[in-house]
Amino acid sequence: MIVRYLIRQTSSYAYEGSVPFARHLLRMLPADRRLQKVIRSELSISPEPSELVSETDFFGNKVAHVVVREPHHVLVVEQTSEVELIDREPTVPSTTPSVATIRAMATSSARIDGKGPAHHLYPSRIVRLVFAATDYAATSCPDDRPILEAAIDLARRIHDDFAYDPIATDVSTPIEEVLENRRGVCQDFAHVMIAGLRGLGLPAAYVSGYLRTEPPIGEARLVGADAMHAWVAVWCGEGVGWRGVDPTNAIVTLRDHVEVAFGRDYADVSPLDGIILSSGRQSLSVAVDVAPLE
Amino acid sequence: MTVPLDSQTGHAGAYARELVASYRSIPGVFDEMVDEAGRLRDHWRPLVDALARLGPGAVEKRFALADQHLASSGAFYRVYDDADRRERPYLLSHVPLVLSASDWATITAGLEQRATILEALLSDAYGPRDLVASRSLPAAMLAGSPEYLRPLVGINPLNGRHLSFYAADIGRAPDGRWWVLRDRTQAPSGSGYALQNRIAMSHALGEITEACAVEPLVGYFDDIRATLSRYRTSGDAGVAILTPGSLNETYFEHIYLSRQLGFRLVEGQDLVVENKRLWLRTVGGLRPINVLLRRIDSDFADPVELNTGSRLGIPGLIDALRAGTVTIANALGSGLAEAAAFMSFMPALATRQRGEELLLPNVATWWCGQPAEREFVLDNLDRLNIASAFAPAAPDAFDYATAKNTAPKSNDARIDQQRTSLRHAISRRGIDYVAHERVQLSTMPIWSGSKFEARPFVLRVYLAQTNDGWHAMPGGLALVGDARDTGALTMQRGAHAADVWVTAGSTRTPADAFASKPPEMGEIRRSSGSLPSRAADCLFWLARYLERAEGTVRIIRALANRAAEALPSTRPERAALMELLFQWGAIPDPQSPPRAIALALTDPASPGSVSSLVSSALASGQVIRNRFPIDAWRALQETDIILRTGADEALPDGGLERAVDTTLRNLAAIAGLQLESMNRLSGWRFMKLGGRIERAILVSRLARSLALAARSNGCLDALLELNDCQITYRMRYAHGAVLKPVFDLVLLDESNPRSLAFSIERIEHHLDSLVSAGDIAPHESPRDAQRELAEAFRAVERDDVGPDQLIAIENRLMRLSDEITAHYFDLSGAPRDGAR
Repeated sequence: MIVRYLIRQTSSYAYEGSVPFARHLLRMLPADRRLQKVIRSELSISPEPSELVSETDFFGNKVAHVVVREPHHVLVVEQTSEVELIDREPTVPSTTPSVATIRAMATSSARIDGKGPAHHLYPSRIVRLVFAATDYAATSCPDDRPILEAAIDLARRIHDDFAYDPIATDVSTPIEEVLENRRGVCQDFAHVMIAGLRGLGLPAAYVSGYLRTEPPIGEARLVGADAMHAWVAVWCGEGVGWRGVDPTNAIVTLRDHVEVAFGRDYADVSPLDGIILSSGRQSLSVAVDVAPLE
Repeated sequence: MTVPLDSQTGHAGAYARELVASYRSIPGVFDEMVDEAGRLRDHWRPLVDALARLGPGAVEKRFALADQHLASSGAFYRVYDDADRRERPYLLSHVPLVLSASDWATITAGLEQRATILEALLSDAYGPRDLVASRSLPAAMLAGSPEYLRPLVGINPLNGRHLSFYAADIGRAPDGRWWVLRDRTQAPSGSGYALQNRIAMSHALGEITEACAVEPLVGYFDDIRATLSRYRTSGDAGVAILTPGSLNETYFEHIYLSRQLGFRLVEGQDLVVENKRLWLRTVGGLRPINVLLRRIDSDFADPVELNTGSRLGIPGLIDALRAGTVTIANALGSGLAEAAAFMSFMPALATRQRGEELLLPNVATWWCGQPAEREFVLDNLDRLNIASAFAPAAPDAFDYATAKNTAPKSNDARIDQQRTSLRHAISRRGIDYVAHERVQLSTMPIWSGSKFEARPFVLRVYLAQTNDGWHAMPGGLALVGDARDTGALTMQRGAHAADVWVTAGSTRTPADAFASKPPEMGEIRRSSGSLPSRAADCLFWLARYLERAEGTVRIIRALANRAAEALPSTRPERAALMELLFQWGAIPDPQSPPRAIALALTDPASPGSVSSLVSSALASGQVIRNRFPIDAWRALQETDIILRTGADEALPDGGLERAVDTTLRNLAAIAGLQLESMNRLSGWRFMKLGGRIERAILVSRLARSLALAARSNGCLDALLELNDCQITYRMRYAHGAVLKPVFDLVLLDESNPRSLAFSIERIEHHLDSLVSAGDIAPHESPRDAQRELAEAFRAVERDDVGPDQLIAIENRLMRLSDEITAHYFDLSGAPRDGAR
């Protein structure tokens, strides 16, 4: 069964003072992946940028370099895309290589592009290797357990042990604090899981993307569907490659997750980076709709 | 190697023999000065003989001269993690390290080869990555470094190289061979300190350096200047040195290099990327910059694509690199090659890339990311140093044998426990660790009273890429340990640095070196180019703060003079002066005079206190320290210290008076130095503009408070005193202070340099000069503001002086300041004039 989605997202960045000049790096458009095909996608930015260059970054993400010279109080970025998820059989967790095998394969891999496991083994800008996270993950990851089974178990434990609480954390909350308070949002859960796996010498990546907004009839609505979502990609060896595991919903990604950007942590995939010349506070509001197309 | 000492005669000979005989080298360790039998090595003889000829007392005096020179040149080294942002003087170890021509040839050949290999490593890592694809280098070794900056992959440096500068820390093993201990490829620091050392040593031992035929260093800097200049792609584009700013530990060196090389010192906010090109914001508009000598870490260089938290970088810089419009030396991401893990691969890389052996070995290193190496390390944990494989900073070495030997017996259990957890960590994440073979450093002499003592050292050698390949600076820094401990030495940890003398015969004779270095071109320049906006801003505000500080000190002194007498008749002026201190933010609320005086002088919490104003002046001055006379800077620093210590411990009796006097004297000295030592370029004019605007505002305010609001003769006297024109007044008028004549002298008389008229005339003059010299863009609104000011002043001359007219003048002065700020200094707005 091929699933096709129409995705619309509107992000409004409102600033207290007028912004005379802005330079941004946007990572908002989905890219073609092994099991995901982008039929069409477009970005519309207001005010109109004076420079806009689209590129593919090291990790294979679509990025747009943008300069806005028109003074503005609000920057609105709208993206619309149609994405097709290529159908496949779910990977059987018990058939994946063991934790010990993955650890050895990861360090000897000769793959050095963005999807190579080596980039996702080390501490990164946001994910530092925290003893408490490694310790927490170790319970799920004995050396002889198949990697995907271990990852799913870890995701399920995070889902059970941590409360979904949008007020408890912000983008700068350190992993230690999330572990201590056991509360947070998808981004925090993904970072905790990545820190735990990497601490054990296992490659883990951060994925940002979308969830289907309304569930199929008879199924529950997924948590995180009203904004951009985040989950973890776990490396399952040279043969299998990366598999998505969503600790917020305790599921393996299959037909409900559309990938936008892939990287080492949130810093690599942040939808909008950059600098603005302005003083005062700013606020962000986001509206997302991900609907299946018949 | 050695000759007997019998050629020596007399006292000098005896003293030389005593110097050598009393020197205790460490058994089993190579010593630079003496051989294993304790005999002086040949290449040290000229130095030791020359010192001996001076005799013990004179040697001490000569060394003191070197220290004096360093102190007076303002050399400093900033200590990190110091809340008070202290600088500590830079510490020179007086005895130079003397290297023989043959040692130097070995070292330079080895390091040139190494630099070439590291360049190839970087160009592969940021290019095709064949080393990984062909399994010569594990992917996990490349990916592990936080300095492997992914946005730079696929961008070729415009000048064709990642490394323009390379430095290595090397040490000598007991068998006499040199070993590389660390590679420095990010932004190697210290060559400026080395030159500074050399100059200080020449002051102290001039004739001895000549007699020893020491290779000069200046040629190296000439080569750097020529090479970087050649990287420019157009003649009118500039070369700049990018510094993280005055809080950086080696900021002094950045200033020093800027002076030595003649390249502008800039911070990230001075630069802007427009149309994928790099520009310097100056008071005359945007000026193109083509080449950056980078002294900030790569990750901080572009807050859009690299560390988004960086405030030191230039947004869009990588865009400019991608477009191939700017050369950065060293290229962004070059810090990758510093990772200790690569040391384990250097021998193999030498073979693979060049079919050669390493000419200079590096310390034996095992990367624990590989199974066989990991097993070896785990089996030999007790005789290896374990270090971080990728940490850019000096790694904390875990050294169990030493820990066991030095720690008390009771700590054995704890050490065993640490050892177990390290073993566990290496098993799980061996990729994070390397093991180094233990290194025993060689020793060199330091001077201790009247004799030599042996100390271990690390030698840092600098290389720069020139038109015909790598060139080593014939010298370097010898970082000498404080104790006999042979652990890692850095300047942060308090090691001393010694000059390094390469004795002639190695590369070229000193005479040749001088002869071969005529100035590049005979071109004469009167101006050093456009003044960066931020520097202009800082000079402008430095002058305003200094002027305000002086005004405030004068009020304090006037108040102190009147408080001492405490006559009822002086009550109105005391009240008026107190009110002024309060209005100007020098005191939090009106106080009793003695208390008010102390607060206004030293209170760090009041923004208008003299201490706060001097601190603000210093903060502004930090940025433009290289444009400010060194003596003026030191006077400012001294004033700051006097005022701050006054705040810590209440000043003793008479201390306040002394502080007031010293402050006024120092401020006068600074003003004098500005007049006498600064060229009349745009920076000086912006300083004068700031000072004049501030002084005009102060005079007008004083006139309003002391003459118009509080009408007493005493207040008019105080106004004359604050304006420093009591004597002139008495010479002109037989009668006491009367309003009209006082106003004429204080406000209208153009021959009084403290009058309003004088300041307003100078403001017009300086703005005119800036515009007519073409130093600033001829924006209309600052000129309009100046014309309105002149018009308002003419109204005062014509009509009677009233508070409204004075307030109008003050408002126009402030508007002029705002217009100058908006048009020439503002860094927050969009780039103003479009790129050409």
